[in-house]
Amino acid sequence: MPALVEYIPKDTLVHRLNPITKILWTLAVLSVCFILQEPLAIFIVLLSNILVAWLSGVLKQVIPAIIGLFIFSLVLILFQIFFVKEGNTLFYVIPFINLGRVTDVGLKFSAVLALRMLATTSTIPILMTTTQMKDIIVVLTEKCRVPFKYSFMLVTALRFIPTFIEEMDQILQAQRSRGYETDTSNPFKKLFIIIPLAIPLLILSVKKAEKMAISMEVRGFGAGPRSYYNRVDMKKTDYAVIALLGTITLAVLIM
Amino acid sequence: MSSIIKISGLTFVYQGSKVPALDQINMDVKQGDFIGIIGPTGAGKTTLALCMNGVIPHFYPGDFYGSVWVDGKDTVENDCAVLAGSIGSVFQDPEAQMVAMVVEDELAFGLENLNLPRHEMERRITEALEITGISHLRYHSTSRLSGGQKQRVAIASAIALHPKILVLDEPTSELDPQGTEIVYDTLKNLNENHGITIIVIEQKIQYLAQYCSRLMVMDKGKIVIEGSCREVLARQDILKPLGINCPPVTQLAHMLKERGLYHGEYPLKVDEAYMVISKVLQDWGNFK
Ligand SMILES: Nc1ncnc2c1ncn2[C@@H]1O[C@H](COP(=O)(O)OP(=O)(O)OP(=O)(O)O)[C@@H](O)[C@H]1O
Ligand SMILES: [Mg+2]
Repeated sequence: MPALVEYIPKDTLVHRLNPITKILWTLAVLSVCFILQEPLAIFIVLLSNILVAWLSGVLKQVIPAIIGLFIFSLVLILFQIFFVKEGNTLFYVIPFINLGRVTDVGLKFSAVLALRMLATTSTIPILMTTTQMKDIIVVLTEKCRVPFKYSFMLVTALRFIPTFIEEMDQILQAQRSRGYETDTSNPFKKLFIIIPLAIPLLILSVKKAEKMAISMEVRGFGAGPRSYYNRVDMKKTDYAVIALLGTITLAVLIM
Repeated sequence: MSSIIKISGLTFVYQGSKVPALDQINMDVKQGDFIGIIGPTGAGKTTLALCMNGVIPHFYPGDFYGSVWVDGKDTVENDCAVLAGSIGSVFQDPEAQMVAMVVEDELAFGLENLNLPRHEMERRITEALEITGISHLRYHSTSRLSGGQKQRVAIASAIALHPKILVLDEPTSELDPQGTEIVYDTLKNLNENHGITIIVIEQKIQYLAQYCSRLMVMDKGKIVIEGSCREVLARQDILKPLGINCPPVTQLAHMLKERGLYHGEYPLKVDEAYMVISKVLQDWGNFK
């Protein structure tokens, strides 16, 4: 059974940031990627994510997830690229009979789509490896007023998505070597092959979250106002990071 | 003494299951009791514990009949978080109950939920770690603890909250005899000196016989026998078929009884057995 994305205890700048700051970072990356239209610019955002992972010392844990996401985005390109009719023809996949026409517009469109997906989802494993699940749930519930149950659902999904995508590729390869027909180009057929394989993973992830929810509640979480043993206030670095994120987002918006 | 837990006509059927996991349970726990629950696997022991802390019916869907009152609160009406003010829980799987990455934070979590000031948390953490004998683990990572260490952290986290009732589901399953003894001595201390009501699910009957004031035997969702340790252990006819082996000293007395050599009460501890044997030998001498 594959491991879920887990917190890696380290003492880095990123680890010490308030969970809110890190959640804001993922949202900033999300908005910037949707404002930007140039593949190169989105690629730079992706590189910045990898830089953050490196600074947090979680690169080793995050890279497999990013590779999984990358393969997933390649599949995404394949589904898109042949359907764009506009633009100048760049090449044909099978030249002599002019099959599989790829245009410059199509290529750019697909690249933007794939990079966007890659850049926006690669923040999730970084968030989850540098922040304790408990802390994310506490800030979501306490500070952001998200109902307890929804905080758990959100965190479960966040933990599940990168693992899901990372494992999908491995599962498909394993199945292929055992002779399962996974090479099918029909996306619906592919989905039907993937679903039964993904279910155990999903159940594991939900079970884990449920156990944690139970454990938190029987110790009185959610009964009323709470105090903090280690202050989780926003520190100077948090404000600095948030200011930086705001400036970058604004700058991208204006440009 | 007044009852602190009152269970009446409790039947619970897990969703998707046909047979009830609990079947018409009635139970009356008095304040200051030290109750042991034993029974074969699948008897419903864990399910009963989950009904006491409100996890059932709040987390597990299913058909719930009857009522469970804990410290004057109906568990159906009150959330687990509210019940947590009265009842502390230690689960069967210590792995599943860790929420923090460091032992100290693990203990602090529940105290934070009580909205305590920092110095009070500090005091209670130190105290709970001392009571459970794991002060040296304070700054350890929770994920790198052994099973037995995790169980003790779980117990420390529960007792730091100063609950009126403590329900523990096989808290010593991963501990060696020495560790188990420490845990039971801790529970005994909490029970005798702090008046905490204790309900413990345990497979090792010798510890129940030694420490509990009352014993309950469960099978197939029902309470089969209930009473003082002596009363329950006397019913070997019921215990044997359930695979519950009595403590060796009790078995010895049982064998003596079967041969008509002894007629008194069942011994639970070694020193009591010593008395029994002395008496039997004495009678034997007189007989000759
Ligand atoms: N989440 C669940 N969903 C459905 N059925 C369950 C669930 N948990 C337990 N059961 C069933 O309820 C019955 C009682 O289980 P329970 O866990 O309470 O037994 P137990 O006495 O604690 O056993 P053990 O000694 O193995 O811990 C069993 O038949 C079990 O299969
Ligand atoms: Mg059990």
